[in-house]
Amino acid sequence: MKENRLPVWTDDELLTGLADGSDDALMQLYRQYFPMVLHFVTNNSGSEDDAKDIYQEALIVLFEKVRGGSLELHCQLKTYLYSVCRRLWLKQLSQRSRYMVRDVETPASDDLVIEQIGDDLLEHEERDRQFTLMADSLERLGEPCRTLLEDFYIQHLSMQEITEKFGYTNADNAKTQKYKCLMRLKRLFFSEYKQ
Amino acid sequence: MNDEREIEQSLYAYGERIRFKQRLKKVQARLDMDAMRQEADTYRFQSQTTGQIRALWQTYRTTLAVAATAAIITTFGSIFLYRSYQQSHQQEQQYSLLSKEIQAVKSSQRKLINDINGRGRGLSINPAQVSGSGFLLTPDGYFVTNNHIVREADSVYVQSVKGEVYKARVVFTDSQHDLAFLQLCDDSAFRTLPPVPYGFEARPSELGERVYTLGYPREEIVYGEGYLSSGTGYRGDSTAYQVAIGVNPGNSGGPLLDEKGNVIGIISGKQTTSEGVSFAVKTNYLIEALNTIPADSLKGQPLRLNRKNTMTNLSRKQQIKRMQDYVYQVKVFKHKD
Repeated sequence: MKENRLPVWTDDELLTGLADGSDDALMQLYRQYFPMVLHFVTNNSGSEDDAKDIYQEALIVLFEKVRGGSLELHCQLKTYLYSVCRRLWLKQLSQRSRYMVRDVETPASDDLVIEQIGDDLLEHEERDRQFTLMADSLERLGEPCRTLLEDFYIQHLSMQEITEKFGYTNADNAKTQKYKCLMRLKRLFFSEYKQ
Repeated sequence: MNDEREIEQSLYAYGERIRFKQRLKKVQARLDMDAMRQEADTYRFQSQTTGQIRALWQTYRTTLAVAATAAIITTFGSIFLYRSYQQSHQQEQQYSLLSKEIQAVKSSQRKLINDINGRGRGLSINPAQVSGSGFLLTPDGYFVTNNHIVREADSVYVQSVKGEVYKARVVFTDSQHDLAFLQLCDDSAFRTLPPVPYGFEARPSELGERVYTLGYPREEIVYGEGYLSSGTGYRGDSTAYQVAIGVNPGNSGGPLLDEKGNVIGIISGKQTTSEGVSFAVKTNYLIEALNTIPADSLKGQPLRLNRKNTMTNLSRKQQIKRMQDYVYQVKVFKHKD
């Protein structure tokens, strides 16, 4: 390790770190590839915040693929991230009726890789839809159901903690409550989603 | 139970993304944006030179676009003009009508002196200016040849393979398809022949069809054979065939026959720029032209085309022997300018 020079992680190290939920790996992903995307977006009529949003979305795509164990990387991670960001930014630009970007890096050119990235992004769009729908369903679910479910499924509180927080007489009672809330959420969610 | 799992999974996925976003936010907050910007700038430096070119391009691109457009229009415009000029002039050069200027073969005309009627002698003294070929449509003297042979003719004579000469009257011409119909029975010397042996095939013939022709590129009848090489003629002319057959001036107006001895076309010209590329008007248009002949031009003598081909089963040699009596040389006299 050289002085003043941050270590460069390999693709494998980065991906393993990402899957394990390591914040260091995230930090490193920003250090290594964000400047490229920052330059790309700001060079193509985007702001610094646009660049952050785009890179964040690309990392979500990558993270969810890694967590789902379905990431197939047929090119360098750098190329993958650049190509994904490029596609995402192009999509945003097309909403502003612009369809051209100036590249600052060579995007993936291999057919297999391009197809792969296309698939990944389609999947991502689908998950995006689910995500928005879930947020919306939770919103409509109302209190106390919403907080109860969020505490259990998102904050990962234990049943005991929830019983105390909500003042239920016992954990079984809390469980029944949780089940009822879940069923209501299910109806709300799938009535929209299955369409 | 299953339903419960499904919604739980969606919830977990939802939660996971929320937490990941929170982590990203934290990481982003810790980012040294100055360092990031600096590094992004190094990218900019890398593309500095191209950047300068790009700046120039951005400044001058409208000017450049106008200049380029003008250049393109001028270039292609002049090429186009030149080409169309060239083509309009080449057209006539490339397509050569196969009528023959007789002057060159004056000497051989002396053979005609043997002619009993003595008319051959007349011809040898005062030779025709143009000659070509033609053939009988009916045994009673209706005859077809190319319009370009008899055009502006003062008088038209036809001469059989045996050397008999008859005067012919031009009944009808179809300059569009380069066809001319003659009648020989104006001449009392003409005797009605046995029915014509060949049939007329109006349906389009197949590519590769073996074809042959008889004609008079010289004073003697000459046989030539080849094959049908295209369903369209010169410059995609759909009224003609392209035939790979060696023909010469004088062959014009001769019949083009298929294996079975059906007339599928009339030799009309060839392309001068390439060898063995000849053209023949399709029989179909011959029949079409026949139907447009006004009744009074026929002087009450109906023109009925022979549909029956009596040569189908004959060998090529036999076919030629049978039909050569029906193929004539056409000699045309014109004003001398």
